[in-house]
Amino acid sequence: MNLAEGVQLVSLGLLSFMMLGAALGVVLLTNVVYSAFLLGGTFISAAGIYLLLNADFVATAQVLIYVGAVNVLIIFAIMLVNKRQDFAPLPKAWIRKSATAVVCLGLFSLLTTMVLVTPWNLSAEVASADSSIIEIGKHFFTDFLLPFELASVLLLMALVGAIILARREFLPEESAVAVQQPILTLPERPRELAGVTPGSPDRTIASKPSDRNK
Amino acid sequence: MYTYGRKRRAEHMEGIDLQQTFIRSLTELGIPSGAAKAIWMPLPMLLMIIGATVGVLVTVWLERKISAAAQQRIGPEYIGPLGVLAPVADGLKLIFKEDTVPAKSDPLLFTLGPVIVVIPVFLSYLIVPFGQNLVITNVSMGVLLWISLSSVVPIGLLMSGYASNNKYSLLGGLRAAAQSISYEIPLALAVLAVAMMSNSLSTVDIVDQQSGYGILGWNIWRQPIGFLIFWIAALAECERIPFDLPEAEEELVAGYQTEYSGMKFALFYLGSYVNLVLSALLVAVLYLGGWESPIPTSLLANLAGVSETSAWLEIVDAAVGITMTLLKAYFLVFIAILLRWTVPRVRIDQLLDLGWKFLLPVSLVNLLLTAALKIAFPVAFGG
Amino acid sequence: MLKFLKQVGDYAKETVQAAKYIGQGLSVTFDHMQRRPVTVQYPYEKLIPSERFRGRIHFEFDKCIACEVCVRVCPINLPVVDWEMNKTTKKKQLKHYSIDFGVCIFCGNCVEYCPTNCLSMTEEYELSTYDRHELNYDSVALGRLPYKVTDDPMVTPLRELAYLPEGVTEPHGLPDNAQRAGLRPEEILEQEQSKN
Repeated sequence: MNLAEGVQLVSLGLLSFMMLGAALGVVLLTNVVYSAFLLGGTFISAAGIYLLLNADFVATAQVLIYVGAVNVLIIFAIMLVNKRQDFAPLPKAWIRKSATAVVCLGLFSLLTTMVLVTPWNLSAEVASADSSIIEIGKHFFTDFLLPFELASVLLLMALVGAIILARREFLPEESAVAVQQPILTLPERPRELAGVTPGSPDRTIASKPSDRNK
Repeated sequence: MYTYGRKRRAEHMEGIDLQQTFIRSLTELGIPSGAAKAIWMPLPMLLMIIGATVGVLVTVWLERKISAAAQQRIGPEYIGPLGVLAPVADGLKLIFKEDTVPAKSDPLLFTLGPVIVVIPVFLSYLIVPFGQNLVITNVSMGVLLWISLSSVVPIGLLMSGYASNNKYSLLGGLRAAAQSISYEIPLALAVLAVAMMSNSLSTVDIVDQQSGYGILGWNIWRQPIGFLIFWIAALAECERIPFDLPEAEEELVAGYQTEYSGMKFALFYLGSYVNLVLSALLVAVLYLGGWESPIPTSLLANLAGVSETSAWLEIVDAAVGITMTLLKAYFLVFIAILLRWTVPRVRIDQLLDLGWKFLLPVSLVNLLLTAALKIAFPVAFGG
Repeated sequence: MLKFLKQVGDYAKETVQAAKYIGQGLSVTFDHMQRRPVTVQYPYEKLIPSERFRGRIHFEFDKCIACEVCVRVCPINLPVVDWEMNKTTKKKQLKHYSIDFGVCIFCGNCVEYCPTNCLSMTEEYELSTYDRHELNYDSVALGRLPYKVTDDPMVTPLRELAYLPEGVTEPHGLPDNAQRAGLRPEEILEQEQSKN
């Protein structure tokens, strides 16, 4: 075993451990913010495993889309509605928990047997890291053309919808304006207009407060 | 199409290859080649981290001096000649400053936030080339790696904003995340147009595709709109004025940095400047011909009658390459600083309007135009 | 279709306009970079205060007749005049006088109204202390003369803009005998006398 293989084995172990730990954390932690951040950790560990499999495009796309977009959006949503509230302990919560555990274990065993039973058609050749984009592109435009085009049309629709939503000028309804607020006024002392001729010297100096600074 | 790029690269493959030379000299000393490789590996990374940090110090000094000049001040003067040690003094001060954690905050996330912000930025230096072989890894993902790494940063910002237990921090973090999500898309589309022309995402291939004609071959002439979109989006990603809403002093104190002090604040500070230099370097690589000088060195060598394979020419070539990359990058940093003292900060709705309603459609049109031109004029647009 | 094209054209025009404005702004900023700095490197260089500078107030104990006019004209009755009647001379005898410069606004009314000119303005403006009570100057502290900026060997004195020769905007390296723009007061006086 040379250096590169050793490094690969160690990093595979580390990444798997990180991924499983983070995934368990997502499910088991009660603090939803921690769960969201740990979800990002899971995605990044998955990207690392992709890298070890020489699938560097998939790895970068994983980081870009799942960590950079999906996870950020999840955290964003959590932060916008953040309300720290302790869970009230439910009576007989153990029934639910054990039921969940049974379902999860069942799913896990089902998937494991599926993985073990299926005769995988593994090719022995090592995927070349440098040309993975080329290979992916070729597959997209030959045998995976229909799903690729469908996905792109879906994304285009989402894009157009987003642009239309963003470009729509929001006009507040007229009726909202029509509700007249009562005009609030301060009680004002009535102006004394009596007796003073406009030119009289003793009154002009400070007759109006706004004139004082002139 | 791809083999074309490969061939051109193979033609250029001669030139300095420090790695091969280093490993060969170590194996001649009697060290097994695997161990020699293992010794080599951390060296360029260490060099890059040191280089990035020194680059930040230079940028901070430049920022202070240029800002001073734009306001008819002198700027730092007494700390070292012309004040060049001022950023070092800043750093030392921040190292020795007390590291406070606010009450009722989340200490774990509070510490993890700046770390998550800084690590991807430094990792992105992996793909910045300073010469044909003067790059840490010439991965085929290249620019995409940078984009995906920089998309991790908002998680760190959100984390520190949340953990600070401060409404200004939280608002700053949310703004930072919204901003970098919305400007990542035009950025990626602008990069995509460049990648389409060079048939590769690798930064080395992108520079190679611009080489040969000196300043006339640079991508800025073929992608003027893309260049502007990329620069605007990069400024927004770096949270520079006019897009510095996440840390707008007048509204949010300092945004997500409000509660930070000492070394954790220094990490944010370092990260933002490393990110600025990185963006400038990438603009230089993508649009301004990377390490190519405005007049091709091979042309000058031919004129002077020097053979292309002579050893000292290769050294001169490498030196010119590094200098050119840095010069272009620092010119862009200079523009960014000048913009800082020219343009007022935009409002959050103006920011999102600019990103979604202007840059996104324009970059889509730019991509479409590039594709059409590539089909119409395959010679000029890298068919 | 035509309407849409027109919209796009208008939009493009607006964009170009905005870019032009930003370019103009950038050129203004760039132009400022070539101008000389206007800063005064404070502890090493100091501006010479002008003739009518209203700095810390100087007080001459012996001239004071304890009339308390300064207290009456002061907007906040700041000066503290402590006197007692001398029965033999039938005059007020000043015992103590103080002004708190932490509260004083340097309006100069006391100086203006002092009948014996025992109050005067100085050019001292460096009044920072570690404790605000140290700014409460008693008659001894009020009687100290300030140190002139031009006499300080540690300081490069700089003239203010109004005291520079005509056409000069840079106070550094100006010879001491360079005359300020316009006529000096004594020259104006001479002119007036020759006219009459």
